[in-house]
Amino acid sequence: MAVDITLLFRASVKTVKTRNKALGVAVGGGGGSGSDGARDELFRRSPRPKGDFSSRAREVISHIGKLRDFLLEHRKDYINAYNHIMSDYMRMTDTERDQIDQDAQIFMRTCSEAIQQLRTEAHKEVHSQQVKEHRSAVLDFIEDYLKRVCKIYSEQRAIRVKRVVDKKRLSRLEPDQSSKSTESSSSEKASQNSSEESEEKSTTEENRDKNLTEAQSNFGLWGDGRGEDELSPEEIQVFEQENQRLVGEMNSLFDEVRQIEGKVVEISRLQEIFTEKVLQQETEIDNIHQLVVGATENIKEGNEDIREAIKNNAGFRVWILFFLVMCSFSLLFLDCPLSASGSVMIVTYCTWRRWEQMNTDSGTCPGNCILFGGAAESFLSRVRPSVTLFGVFLGKVTGLVCHFFLQKG
Amino acid sequence: MVRVKMAAAAAASIRERQTVALKRMLNFNVPHVKNNTGEPVWKVLIFDRFGQDIISPLLSVKELRDMGITLHLLLHSDRDPIPDVPAVYFVMPTEENIDRMCQDLRNQLYESYYLNFISAISRSKLEDIANAALAASAVTQVAKVFDQYLNFITLEDDMFVLCNQNKELVSYRAINRPDITDTEMETIMDTIVDSLFCFFVTLGAVPIIRCSRGTAAEMVAVKLDKKLRENLRDARNSLFTGDTLGAGQFSFQRPLLVLVDRNIDLATPLHHTWTYQALVHDVLDFHLNRVNLEESSGVENSPAGARPKRKNKKSYDLTAVDKFWQKHKGSPFPEVAESVQQELESYRAQEDEVKRLKSIMGLEGEDEGAISMLSDNTAKLTSAVSSLPELLEKKRLIDLHTNVATAVLEHIKTRKLDVYFEYEEKIMSKTTLDKSLLDMISDPYAGTPEDKMRLFLIYYISAQQAPSEADLEQYKKALTEAGCNLTPLQYIKQWKAFAKMASAPTSYGNTATKPMGLLSRVMNTGSQFVMEGVKNLVLKQQNLPVTRILDSLMEMKSNPETDDYRYFDPKMLRGSDSSVPRNKNPFQEAIVFVVGGGNYIEYQNLIDYIKGKQGKHVLYGCSELFNASQFIKQLSLLGQK
Repeated sequence: MAVDITLLFRASVKTVKTRNKALGVAVGGGGGSGSDGARDELFRRSPRPKGDFSSRAREVISHIGKLRDFLLEHRKDYINAYNHIMSDYMRMTDTERDQIDQDAQIFMRTCSEAIQQLRTEAHKEVHSQQVKEHRSAVLDFIEDYLKRVCKIYSEQRAIRVKRVVDKKRLSRLEPDQSSKSTESSSSEKASQNSSEESEEKSTTEENRDKNLTEAQSNFGLWGDGRGEDELSPEEIQVFEQENQRLVGEMNSLFDEVRQIEGKVVEISRLQEIFTEKVLQQETEIDNIHQLVVGATENIKEGNEDIREAIKNNAGFRVWILFFLVMCSFSLLFLDCPLSASGSVMIVTYCTWRRWEQMNTDSGTCPGNCILFGGAAESFLSRVRPSVTLFGVFLGKVTGLVCHFFLQKG
Repeated sequence: MVRVKMAAAAAASIRERQTVALKRMLNFNVPHVKNNTGEPVWKVLIFDRFGQDIISPLLSVKELRDMGITLHLLLHSDRDPIPDVPAVYFVMPTEENIDRMCQDLRNQLYESYYLNFISAISRSKLEDIANAALAASAVTQVAKVFDQYLNFITLEDDMFVLCNQNKELVSYRAINRPDITDTEMETIMDTIVDSLFCFFVTLGAVPIIRCSRGTAAEMVAVKLDKKLRENLRDARNSLFTGDTLGAGQFSFQRPLLVLVDRNIDLATPLHHTWTYQALVHDVLDFHLNRVNLEESSGVENSPAGARPKRKNKKSYDLTAVDKFWQKHKGSPFPEVAESVQQELESYRAQEDEVKRLKSIMGLEGEDEGAISMLSDNTAKLTSAVSSLPELLEKKRLIDLHTNVATAVLEHIKTRKLDVYFEYEEKIMSKTTLDKSLLDMISDPYAGTPEDKMRLFLIYYISAQQAPSEADLEQYKKALTEAGCNLTPLQYIKQWKAFAKMASAPTSYGNTATKPMGLLSRVMNTGSQFVMEGVKNLVLKQQNLPVTRILDSLMEMKSNPETDDYRYFDPKMLRGSDSSVPRNKNPFQEAIVFVVGGGNYIEYQNLIDYIKGKQGKHVLYGCSELFNASQFIKQLSLLGQK
């Protein structure tokens, strides 16, 4: 239960005003006196930036409103497809209706274009987030409004189309039946003698001119003249049966057509739903497409990066190895250049000798090498035992490894 | 026409009434009519935290959009000027809010201003705004000023709480603090009374008030009586004149307001519960009809995993639109799990049907006999297309409840809440216990320290005579070993000593929870929520103290507990201090308001109670809504003093 205290607010505004006046305080920009303030207010409000956006939005809305009013105004005339037969005063013709259709469609298109334009402009303009959000929401509202008005139109149109179809069906039915009856009668007539033919012709012509009820009565009239019929009763019966069969066939065909028609209407409705959904999904699919493309790009880049990383890694390993080897060698050399170089030389020499030996006598005398190694060992042990030992060990190992491999080979 | 509308509104629930009031406010205080082809209007909504709390359980963002709200912003956030839009303010008339509004007026943020105050604004504050408007020469831009009298939050059709923002102010702790001064107490009472007054204005009825003597509830009753009386006496501005015209069948049936104090029943808020809504509130972060779940994404890999477990927060709204929630919020949990399963199955069946249809349609081109089937299929397709959105919505709801229920179940399993529930029920109904309390407390696998504390407090509260010192020491030792903080116990001790003087401890209705037969448990194991190890407990109707008080007051039964309750009738010319009710007719409508905090357990109990009574309504309100852990926190703060 909300209580309106606007009046109270106005009253308090007044009291504040009078109080200010009495005190002679100039409050802010409001001015001391009331009248002054009012003028000031007017003055101030006029240059207030009345947003371009909102005025344009309102314009679009008023356009849509006009369309709605127009549609509602002509709704009755538009829908009543029958009435132009029944009533005498002026009604809409079909061309006028088509005109309305066309105009409305053009109007809707322009409206939606205007909205689209507003949207792009609103996006383009530099604004804060909130204003942007607000504007897009406003545009959503307008779009929704347009949609609702469009719905009025499409409903109206659907009714019209349906009625036209109904009318067509009805008008088709009527001559159908009458022609059927006349046809059947004429088929019977065809076998009648020529003396009656002219008379019959006149009656059938009359039949055509008159409406169905009269045709019925004619039928009766016709029956009177059956006395002069030359056809045997059997023949008549055959004809009658054939006639009935034909009628039945026609009826079943007609039923089928009607059913199919119903289905078509239903399908068209479904179609409508589907198109709406498809249109809705279009943007989503676009979005997804974009995302997928982006994702593919990312994956490609990632693969590149990974490949590079692998490469770097391998290079890095080689460098590390090299560095370590260099380190160890430099350590060796720094420790004792002489012995180290000696040992390296020995190692190389041993290996080489071994290699040569293997090649010549295919491993008959490995002891030779070991002997040599032993000599080098004794020589080097005097220089520097630890390094020498290492060198000797290395030399022996390499020698043995070489021996082993060569024997295998 | 207005009369018809009012009559229709009289039958509506408080939730609908508040929603209607909010919608009217958003529609510039013109009754809202649903119009299909109305021109769109747009406006921005500015609210403070109070307004947000009031609106959020009632209107979703989509509904706000339908009302033409493009932006909804907090008053104290940074707002950019949008010069060509009307702004609807929905704020509490506090100093800082008024200041901020004046600032908005000065900065010419919006085109026009519709000011709505949640509760009545004082004259001086109104003059402040007038002053600012004058200074900014924006008096004409202030289009409407309204007092809305909507200062309460409706959570359910028949449940409301006072406020959410400054709930410390009216909490149990604030009311029961030993060192509270008179002025502080006054402000607390004023806040409560103001909100309650708003509630009755929105309800459009003057209640008959009953309350217990010598409690905070009595203070509230006295003040509320005074306020209602003043308002009724001022015939010109009375807020209740409208309803006498159109209240229809309720015009001579006035509602009964039962004001109870939290202190009459401290065990219930500590109790472990077994119904869905209360469980959600107890173990999850359930707040203003929105539950926040923390889900660990993906599988929890080995503890040594370098990646920290990522938690993504999810929040679900449990609203009145959710039929499953409406149906099952009061059901015991195993039943809920089963129903979720059933719903899921029925949903799957429907989905399969749609899929089957799709395959038939796909086959049709090749099938010779398809044309005859076509006749069926178009109809089927139409129904399928129209039912799809419904189906999607259903799926969303099922997913929601599956997630929530799984989270709840996880808690139940890890904390063995079913054991606690059963045990506490036994304590409260004073049946023999099959396991000693000490065992429960020292069991390291059952529950958190908080659960143990709750259990012990319930035991302590509902015990006829306090356990001996030696026993107490033993319990205390066990509790500290279990890692409990003993401060709440200290407060409860004081409270018990005090309550014993005042009255005998209330007894809790006899109860029966029994484990369901083996058969049903076997049946349950097939379901997705494997309820292994969780006992399938069935609740039998038992009335909590609050419900029993309501029962005796509503039916005018004589009951030693409630006979001395004070009686206030604001419509009577002279206030009297008697406790003798004037009319002896039983009431049709009642409002239970708990001063000092309520919970979903009591709400559910009341709902179950009133379900059995034909043509009666009950509304449950409380000054704040807390779950057991929040309550324990308050108790421990009280105990520290």
